[in-house]
Amino acid sequence: MSILAYNGGCVVAMRGKDCVAIATDHRFGIQAQTISTDFKKVFHIGPRMFLGLTGLQTDILTVRDRLMFRKNLYETRENREMCPKPFSAMMSSFLYEHRFGPYFIEPVVAGLDPKTMEPFICNMDLIGCPNAPDDFVVAGTCAEQLYGMCETLWKPDLEPDQLFEVIAQSIVNAFDRDAMSGWGATVYIIEKDKITERTLKTRMD
Amino acid sequence: MARRYDSRTTIFSPEGRLYQVEYAMEAISHAGTCLGILAEDGILLAAECRSTNKLLDSAIPSEKIYRLNDNMVCSVAGITSDANVLTSELRLIAQRYQFSYGEVIPCEQLVSHLCDIKQAYTQYGGKRPFGVSLLYMGWDNKYGYQLYQSDPSGNYGGWKATCIGNNFGAAISMLKQELADKENVKLTLADAKDLAIKVLSMTLDTTKLTPEKVEMATLQRVDNKTVYSVLEKPDVEKLIEKYTKVQAEAEAAKKEKQAKQPTK
Repeated sequence: MSILAYNGGCVVAMRGKDCVAIATDHRFGIQAQTISTDFKKVFHIGPRMFLGLTGLQTDILTVRDRLMFRKNLYETRENREMCPKPFSAMMSSFLYEHRFGPYFIEPVVAGLDPKTMEPFICNMDLIGCPNAPDDFVVAGTCAEQLYGMCETLWKPDLEPDQLFEVIAQSIVNAFDRDAMSGWGATVYIIEKDKITERTLKTRMD
Repeated sequence: MARRYDSRTTIFSPEGRLYQVEYAMEAISHAGTCLGILAEDGILLAAECRSTNKLLDSAIPSEKIYRLNDNMVCSVAGITSDANVLTSELRLIAQRYQFSYGEVIPCEQLVSHLCDIKQAYTQYGGKRPFGVSLLYMGWDNKYGYQLYQSDPSGNYGGWKATCIGNNFGAAISMLKQELADKENVKLTLADAKDLAIKVLSMTLDTTKLTPEKVEMATLQRVDNKTVYSVLEKPDVEKLIEKYTKVQAEAEAAKKEKQAKQPTK
């Protein structure tokens, strides 16, 4: 079994009309054994930017800390907020620096550009190959199921409340077909003027 | 090999002095003035800007006051290029601490860490000391608002109010005078701003203070968050106007008193 699937878990992000959504499950396990059900893999790292990390839990926490180190330095040096695009570029080069001894994570970035309010989503593989489409990105042990759900439910120009419904249904129905993910979920909807966090009740088995 | 040229830059003189360090201090006492005042509800740094050329790009928000991390800000007096090296080192130190311990670095620790580096440059051969003195203002959850000063020798100390750069001696004695009788009175940040303008206008070489010449920044805790703000030019202008008005009134009162005296 891949080390990327050792702890389980999944993250998905979607673009809507002037908004983005990112969702995470709550499971933290060791192979088939569930250890806890309150591990959110999505981190609020800027006023309108979220970082989701799936994969090996120890690497999730380390990568988050190391990226925050770089981001904080950037922000004090440049005296401005970091936009999602340069953040993703930074993460990509950071991951490629560890090309031959990588962190076992698959990252997802979701946010709005602080100036233009343009929605932005991006994911990468563990050595930092970026992918920034205009619909949705997925990561985790149930990536395939997520692709199926997203491809079925997502359509362009979803309003924030519609986007919430789409992303919630996508993640819940995807991880119900995966033993390594699930045990509750949290959805974040990022809009120009507000961020909504909603916790989903799901099957706990 | 560096030692082939001059490995004696930081060796004691027969009189027991370190000339290079003293020269560095001397260089700073000609640099633009910086002063810091610790108030009850916040803390303030003010700096004199020397290069007020109209052609200068004004995109840079502050020329001599630098943010270090969430809780600390510093201002520099001395060689700017040396200062840039030190501020980026300070920012790195702060972030390394935050990475290792998951919390913001305590103010004194950051200052003392940088001073270790500054000290090293006064001891190892083939190096010259950093020609920079710094004022740090910061907040941490153990000691609250703090004001520190460090010099090229690697010495540092905490202050209620202090000054570095040109005419620092005069400014410090003024601050001492102003604050000595206020031992029991709580100094607010607003008072501190007025005091900073007063001290700067008395100690700077120029006859009249202009907003272009002064840079001022404050640090406060609001709703459990550290808020750092650089004062806008109109706000500085207001402070200067207020000061000149008070000064003119005092002058008028003095003249009136003098006019009355002969009649007595």
